[in-house]
Amino acid sequence: MAEAGEDLLAALRGLLGPAGLLTGRAALSVYARDASHLAWGRPLAVALPSREADVARIVALCAAAGVPVVARGAGTGLSGGAVPPPGALVLGTARLTDLGPVDADAGAVRAQPGVLNAALTRHAAPFGLHFAPDPSSQAASTIGGNIAENAGGPHCLRLGVTSHHLRALDWCDAHGRDWTTGEPVAVARGIDLRGLLCGSEGTLGVVTAAWLQLTPEPGAVETLLAEFPSLEEATSSVATLLRAGLLPVAVEIIDRPMALTVEEAFGFGLPTDVEAVMIVELAGAADAVTTQAAATAGVLRRAGARAVRKAGDAEERLALWQCRKRAFGAVGRLSPNYVSMDVVVPLGQLSGLVREIQQVRERFDVKIATAFHAGDGNLHPAVHYDERREGDAERAHAAADAIIRAALRRGGSVTGEHGVGLEKLHALPWQLDAATAGLLRAVKDTFDPRGLLNPGKALPSAPVREGAEGYAPLPAAPTGPVFTWDSLTVCAPASTPLAGIQEQALAHGLWLPLGLPGQAAGWGLDAGLTAGRAVDRLLTGPSWLARATARDLLLEVWATTGDGRPFHAGAPVFKNVAGYDLVRLLCGADGRLARLQALTMQLRPAPAAAWGWRLERMAEAPDSASPAAAVAVGALLKALTSGGDGLAGHQAIMERGQEDGWLSVVLLAAGPDSGTSAVELRQRLEAPARAAGLRFVVAERRPFARATELAPALGVPAWALSADSWTALQPRPGRGAGALPPVPRRLIWQDAPRVVWTPESSAPLSPSSGPRGAAAWLADRIVADGVEQPLPQPDGGVPCHLLRSLKRCFDPDLVLGGPVWLTEDADG
Amino acid sequence: MAEHPAWSWSDHERARLDVLLRHCIQCGLCLPACATWVATGDETMSPRGRLLLVGELLADPTASISEPSVRTALDTCIGCQACSAVCPSGVPFALLETAVEAARASTPPPDVPRPVPLPVLLRLEDRTWLRALAWSSARGRDLLRLAFGPHWRRRVQGRRLWGICARLAGSVPRAPRSDRELVACLDGLAKGPSTPVGRLERPARPRESVVWFAGCANEGLLPDSSRRLRELLVWAGAGLVEPAGNTCCGALAAHAGQPRRAAALQNANLAAWGTGGDAAAIVTEASGCGVAVRGYGDRLPLPQIDAMVWLAGAERPAFGRVPLKVALHDPCHARHAQGIVREPRALLRAIPGLILLEPDEPDVCCGSGGLWSLSHGDLSATLGARKARLLAATGADLVVTANAGCLGQIADGLAVLPGEAPPVLPLGDLLWYAALRAVRS
Repeated sequence: MAEAGEDLLAALRGLLGPAGLLTGRAALSVYARDASHLAWGRPLAVALPSREADVARIVALCAAAGVPVVARGAGTGLSGGAVPPPGALVLGTARLTDLGPVDADAGAVRAQPGVLNAALTRHAAPFGLHFAPDPSSQAASTIGGNIAENAGGPHCLRLGVTSHHLRALDWCDAHGRDWTTGEPVAVARGIDLRGLLCGSEGTLGVVTAAWLQLTPEPGAVETLLAEFPSLEEATSSVATLLRAGLLPVAVEIIDRPMALTVEEAFGFGLPTDVEAVMIVELAGAADAVTTQAAATAGVLRRAGARAVRKAGDAEERLALWQCRKRAFGAVGRLSPNYVSMDVVVPLGQLSGLVREIQQVRERFDVKIATAFHAGDGNLHPAVHYDERREGDAERAHAAADAIIRAALRRGGSVTGEHGVGLEKLHALPWQLDAATAGLLRAVKDTFDPRGLLNPGKALPSAPVREGAEGYAPLPAAPTGPVFTWDSLTVCAPASTPLAGIQEQALAHGLWLPLGLPGQAAGWGLDAGLTAGRAVDRLLTGPSWLARATARDLLLEVWATTGDGRPFHAGAPVFKNVAGYDLVRLLCGADGRLARLQALTMQLRPAPAAAWGWRLERMAEAPDSASPAAAVAVGALLKALTSGGDGLAGHQAIMERGQEDGWLSVVLLAAGPDSGTSAVELRQRLEAPARAAGLRFVVAERRPFARATELAPALGVPAWALSADSWTALQPRPGRGAGALPPVPRRLIWQDAPRVVWTPESSAPLSPSSGPRGAAAWLADRIVADGVEQPLPQPDGGVPCHLLRSLKRCFDPDLVLGGPVWLTEDADG
Repeated sequence: MAEHPAWSWSDHERARLDVLLRHCIQCGLCLPACATWVATGDETMSPRGRLLLVGELLADPTASISEPSVRTALDTCIGCQACSAVCPSGVPFALLETAVEAARASTPPPDVPRPVPLPVLLRLEDRTWLRALAWSSARGRDLLRLAFGPHWRRRVQGRRLWGICARLAGSVPRAPRSDRELVACLDGLAKGPSTPVGRLERPARPRESVVWFAGCANEGLLPDSSRRLRELLVWAGAGLVEPAGNTCCGALAAHAGQPRRAAALQNANLAAWGTGGDAAAIVTEASGCGVAVRGYGDRLPLPQIDAMVWLAGAERPAFGRVPLKVALHDPCHARHAQGIVREPRALLRAIPGLILLEPDEPDVCCGSGGLWSLSHGDLSATLGARKARLLAATGADLVVTANAGCLGQIADGLAVLPGEAPPVLPLGDLLWYAALRAVRS
């Protein structure tokens, strides 16, 4: 073995040069640790490749020598994901820091894994874009690490976690072969490899480069600081806020012990005489944000806030976030050690869990300071201890376990964003049932049969058998739709009609952003379209860009494998990185992996109103003022997006008629809309419209529940859903404008300069076939075409053999789906 | 605790280091601020890595500071203190530097030579010697220019011997000597009519009397810039007092492991300042001296204040118009060790027509680190080039910095950049020019 190790080191040195391979005592000590305070053993060596292609070569050499590989970014993980087992090779990506040019049209960029999260945002800033996931470690943590852990951060309440911002991954497998997950498009149906790899903690593959989705900087930001005399009132106000139709980008709570710590460290001026300080950040168009800030302050005061004040200027806001993001560092000033946790519970359970944490504090006599990503139901209680005091560490860990168990009893998850790593291995079986754990293990064995990629992490190490001891029982699936209003979730059997769910949700001011309400047959959906189909076919709606495809709304599933084994994945929480992301894997897989039995989806605040305008070509417009459709639409889109992500979470739909004769714009106004956004939007469109030879002829407003009535009022075809053809029609970054598909008839725009291109040439969408006809055709198609139609064949570079093996994990007898699916010769 | 045979820390040092270690939560936020990590991507070259190594040295009797990889990791620290500035736990990393220095001093391992020979260190307080260095490096540059043409610095890049010569000659700090030369340079950049050269106006009566504490390197290598800064302070209302007996702050001696000599210099300075009359503060020219003087602690008879901070706070006449895009580089001793960030920016923003540009990675050291650049030539050159690239990427017409060491390092980095690069000048020289424009316009 020692000799094999020597041979491997010689080969690696030959590949990387002496500067690329560290074997000194210093490196072996330093790289044995990360930010988790956990230790395991000394690595064999540390490889620091400077070329992307060397990553696969290193993995291949290690695979040949049978040496485990642990990929590492900057070692800022809190769960021990980068702590190597003894004798493993640490593959550091810190020198892979190339950033491609920003494709501002597609809002995408290619980054190597060693690029720092904050450096990426600085790189995109000149284009008015940023990378939305912002873990507190963002100044130091790398994109590779963010992907491996599926990192979150304060701002993922509205904008989503890392998995929502991936377009494609280039990665190498356990054998050292390079693959890709597909074209760098925003939404792709099929087996979601990027979703599976994201959050797999380096146990399935090593990312060598990533195509990332960038998000526009908001035009205006307001940050509110609320003081709550009661922590419970603070936590319960979060759901109230969301149900009032307000969707801030971040809602954070700092409890009193944490506020005291932060104050002592940074002296920002946080109030320390209240039980909770809440930070709420709203972003979007200036007018809308001002209105929403006032509404938010009102809601918070009614919910028990003693005082609500605005952060004065950008500088103060920055200082406030600095304080929040460095809060855990400040803990180091008070106690030498702490147990970090990131349990997550459904929003409605937040107050209850806070009560239980108080009990734990008293029962175990420990100091606990907590910072919450409250909007996500994600808590970071830090249990202080001093390892040099007898019994202190044991007590702290017992207290931490008590909190984890309390969170699990409330339907939560052991980890929302830090990952399982080494730290939470013991707690994973408390959450997972044996069947699911077995599936996770099977997935791991498919990707890494010899267990060489980051062994001993992320998955329970105990042998998994049916009914194995120590695992949680399979939770019972719902028998009918269950709405949990204060958690903003709906749990329903897969056979529940989607339209029914929408009607009930809308009555409570919430909705699933799929389809539009009020249409004759219900939401532009075929009456028979079920929640399960929406997931299988990766259904979307006008607002999918606000991370609202079914992929982004799905939180939890009950399903059975092809050979009839029931399993359960996910949890009814907004963030969850416990185990591989089977939930996303099943989304869009068209029922080819498992039969969905039931699912839980996230409800979002429904828009308040819908505004629509019809623009027509001016008769007197000279020909020169009638540019090609692409130019006109492009100019209008630019006007829409120019104020940053504008419109504060509103959505807009644009549509153009044949011969560029007319154009319609519809705004779905989020929040307590006073019409200011509508006015602002119209103002923004005025000039480019005139330049394009268009003038406003119709302006209509409808309550959101009757939004679809706008279509006949504006004289446009009814809006319908599309589950097809977009892979080919999405703009792909890095190809330049010349490679864009033809200008579509309908654009759906929300929060981002991204565009959904619905089928251009499909006859049913043309006005001649009538509004109802188009919707019906699409809805029918969604329902009917499933089984017979093959999923799109994967693009070149996608490991088809892995997709097939993955299918066999779930469906060993190949009974699910039609015969045409990833034929044996697909990967040539 | 068993004493290690080859080297030792006293119990007092051990206790101090232990405090340091217990503060660190290993979060890693210090990594991107650390120039040596940024340049190498090697975590042993990071503050957290170094601290882990010291922890191991304290805890593990088999660990040795003489082990080459450990020694290299600790020796490579520039001492820029960027880590202390970003550390959320408030780890006082400066302690680490002192402790490592003490460990080194207690048992210099025979196989590892000192990075820089001591005599060189001590000579650097000697202004005559420094003037000679400035003169000889200027002649060296002349020769290289003769031999390789105007882009000599870029052309010898990669050649072994010539490369070293060029790096040495290229990184010695310099600035325009005569006022005429400086004004011509800035007039050319601003593309305006030429500014008449003259002296800055003096107010009838100084508003505040202060002790002037010049930097050795500034007076020795950049004597005219140093003079212009004094003129600027007087223009802004300072009455400069230079007590007899003002001498080197002692930082160099302390870094060279000569605490006694450092203490002697400190005592001499304190004695001199005791006679400072009605002075309100000690105004330090160089940021490195500022840190050292601040380190005198309670014994200081007067508060220490950096020249730029004093200028920013002074009720001074208005600056004249300077229509230039300027990128500012903060010296670590100012930004991290003294927390001077706003003041130089406030000064530059007070100049009409000037557009202040912020480079990326503002808190990362340029790799000068005084003599560190000599002991770590390659790494220093890499960092200098990186810093120069980021400064040039702002699209600035001019780069300014308040520190002599940074000035030379950035000038050398800009000279190796492909294509046109902006010139770099002392911050004080630009402010002096802005003041001159006010006077004459």
